[in-house]
Amino acid sequence: MTHSLEGHHSVEQSARLIRNYRYAAERMTRLLGGWLPLTPEVSAKLLMGRHVWDNAQHADLFGRRLPELRAPAQVSEPSGPAFVAFMEALESPETPELTVERLVGVYRVLKPHLLAVYEQHLGAANAVYEPPTCRILARCIEDERRHVAAGETVLGHLLAAGGLYDRAVAWQRRLEELLAAAGGVTGEGLPPVAPRSTVPEGEGSGEAREFIRLETAGSPWALPDDLRAAVQAFGDALVNGEAGALDRWIAPSARSGQAMDPALAGVRLSDHRVVAVARLGAKRIVKLRAGGPSASVTLALRWMPDPDGWRLESIEIARAHVASPA
Amino acid sequence: MDRPVAYDKLAREERVVRMRARDVAEAKIEQGLPPFPDLRSRESIRERVHGIMVGEMQAMEGAGRSVYDFPDAPWEFTMDMARQVWDESRHLEIYLRLIEHLGGYPGEYPETTILWRCACAEDAAARVAGVNRGLEGLACDVFNQLVHIARKIGDPVLERSVDFVLADEITHVRMGSKWLTRLTEGDPERRRRAIEFQDTIDERFNLGGVRRDGDHEEVLISIATEARRLGGFTGEEIERLIKTTQRSQVY
Ligand SMILES: [Fe+2]
Ligand SMILES: [Fe+2]
Repeated sequence: MTHSLEGHHSVEQSARLIRNYRYAAERMTRLLGGWLPLTPEVSAKLLMGRHVWDNAQHADLFGRRLPELRAPAQVSEPSGPAFVAFMEALESPETPELTVERLVGVYRVLKPHLLAVYEQHLGAANAVYEPPTCRILARCIEDERRHVAAGETVLGHLLAAGGLYDRAVAWQRRLEELLAAAGGVTGEGLPPVAPRSTVPEGEGSGEAREFIRLETAGSPWALPDDLRAAVQAFGDALVNGEAGALDRWIAPSARSGQAMDPALAGVRLSDHRVVAVARLGAKRIVKLRAGGPSASVTLALRWMPDPDGWRLESIEIARAHVASPA
Repeated sequence: MDRPVAYDKLAREERVVRMRARDVAEAKIEQGLPPFPDLRSRESIRERVHGIMVGEMQAMEGAGRSVYDFPDAPWEFTMDMARQVWDESRHLEIYLRLIEHLGGYPGEYPETTILWRCACAEDAAARVAGVNRGLEGLACDVFNQLVHIARKIGDPVLERSVDFVLADEITHVRMGSKWLTRLTEGDPERRRRAIEFQDTIDERFNLGGVRRDGDHEEVLISIATEARRLGGFTGEEIERLIKTTQRSQVY
C-alpha cells in the first residue's frame, strides 16, 4: 500500500503543469472571443459566448494558484513549440463558412484532451497536500464536461445541414495529429480520451438545445399573401430567364441599370426560395436565393406597396457564387 | 485573425438584411414615419427590441474582440471583458426571447452596423471609453426607458428581464470608468484621446436631438441620469452630456 504522503508531482513540476494548462485555457479564451464576430450561426455564437467566461476563470484560477507554488502569478507557458503550432492550427479557421472546423477544434479535440489530462492529474494528485490544485481541477473538469456536451449538441445541429461530415472528420484528424506530435498540453503524452458517448451530458446539452431552438425560432415570414404571390412569380421568371417578365414587377423609377444583369448573364438557375424578409416601414426587403447546377445568387429585393399591387423599388445582389469550371 | 474586424466582415446568417443606419432612417422619413421606433405601439416596441437584440449581438462580439485584440493588457482587463462577453451572451438570449414574446422573429427589421463601427478603436483605453462608457451608457438610457414603458403598459416579462439587463449594463459602464482611469494612468495624452473618442460617440448617439434629458414619454431616448451615476459618470460629465444634446440639431 502506498503511503498517504507519497506524491506524483514535485512543487516545481506542479507549477509547470499549471502554466501549461493556463496557456491552453487563456489562448482558448482569446480565440473563442475573437471568433464571435466571424461566426454567423446564432447557436454557435451563444455557445462560444457562454464559454469565454468559464475558460477565462480557469486561466485565472490556475494563474492564482501559481504563487502558492513559489512561481509568479498569472503566467502562461506552452509545453513547447509543437503545442504552439497545434494552437495556431486550431485558431486558423476564420472565414464564416468554417464554423464546423472552429467547433471541431475546440469541442472535439482540445476540450476532450484537457478533460482527460485534468482527470489524470486529479487522479494522481496527493489528497493530503494538493487539495488547492484538486479543487481547481475538479471545477475545470465539471465545466469541460458540460462544454464538450454542449459543443457536441451544436455540432450535431450544424452537421445535419449535410455535406460537412467529411470535412469535420478530416479537420479533427489533422488537429489530433498535431496534438499527438506535441505530446498534448503538457508535452508528456496523451491520456486516452473517453469516447463521446460516455461523457456525461450534464446541463450542457440542454442549454445547447435551447441555443439551437433560438436560432431556428420565429414566426413564419411576415409576407402578405399578395406579396408572397409577387415574389413567387418574380422568382419563377428569374429562374426561367424571362427578362421581359421580370420588368413587370419593377417600378418605373427603378427600371434602369439593374445590378443583377451582368452577374446572372448565362447562369442557369433552377430553383428559388425566400431566405429573409425584413420590414422597412410599409416596404419589405425580401432576400431571394436562386440556385442552379453551378451557381447561386441571393438578391435583396426591396418591394413597395402600390395601388396596383407590390412593385420592386430596388434589386441588389447580396451574394453571388459561380462555381469555376472544372 | 485581423485586428480589428471591419464592419462588413461581421458574419451573419442569411435571414439577416443589413443596411446602413442612415438609409434605414431616410426610408422611414420618406414614408412619413419617425426615423426611430417611438415606443407608442406594440409593434414599435418590437422594432426597438429587435434593434436592441442586434446591439447585444454586436456588444457580445465587441467584448469578445477586446479579449482577443489586447493580449498585452493587464490580465484583470481581459477578465472583465470575458465576463462582459458572458453577460452580453445572456442579453442576446434575453432579447431573442423577448422578440418571441412580442410576436416577432429575428431578421424582422434590417441590421445596421453603426454600433460596431464605433467599437473598433485600436487602443484599449479608447475602446473601453467609447464602448463601455459611450455605447453602454446609451444602453442604460434605452433600457431605463424601456423598463418604464414596460411597467406602464403592464408587461412584467419585459419589465423584469430588461431591468436585469440594465443592472448588467451599469456594471459594464463601471468597468469602462475603471479601465479608462487605469489604462491611462500617467499618460494624460492617451486619456485625452480616449475621452475625445467617447465624445464623438456620445455626439453621434445624441442622434441629432433624439436623445435628451426629459420625461420617458416625451422624448424618444431619455438620459438615465441615476443609472449613469451608478456606472461612475460624474455629475459634471452627465451635465456635459445633457448640454451636448441641447446643442445637437433635431433630426
Ligand atoms: Fe448588453
Ligand atoms: Fe453591456
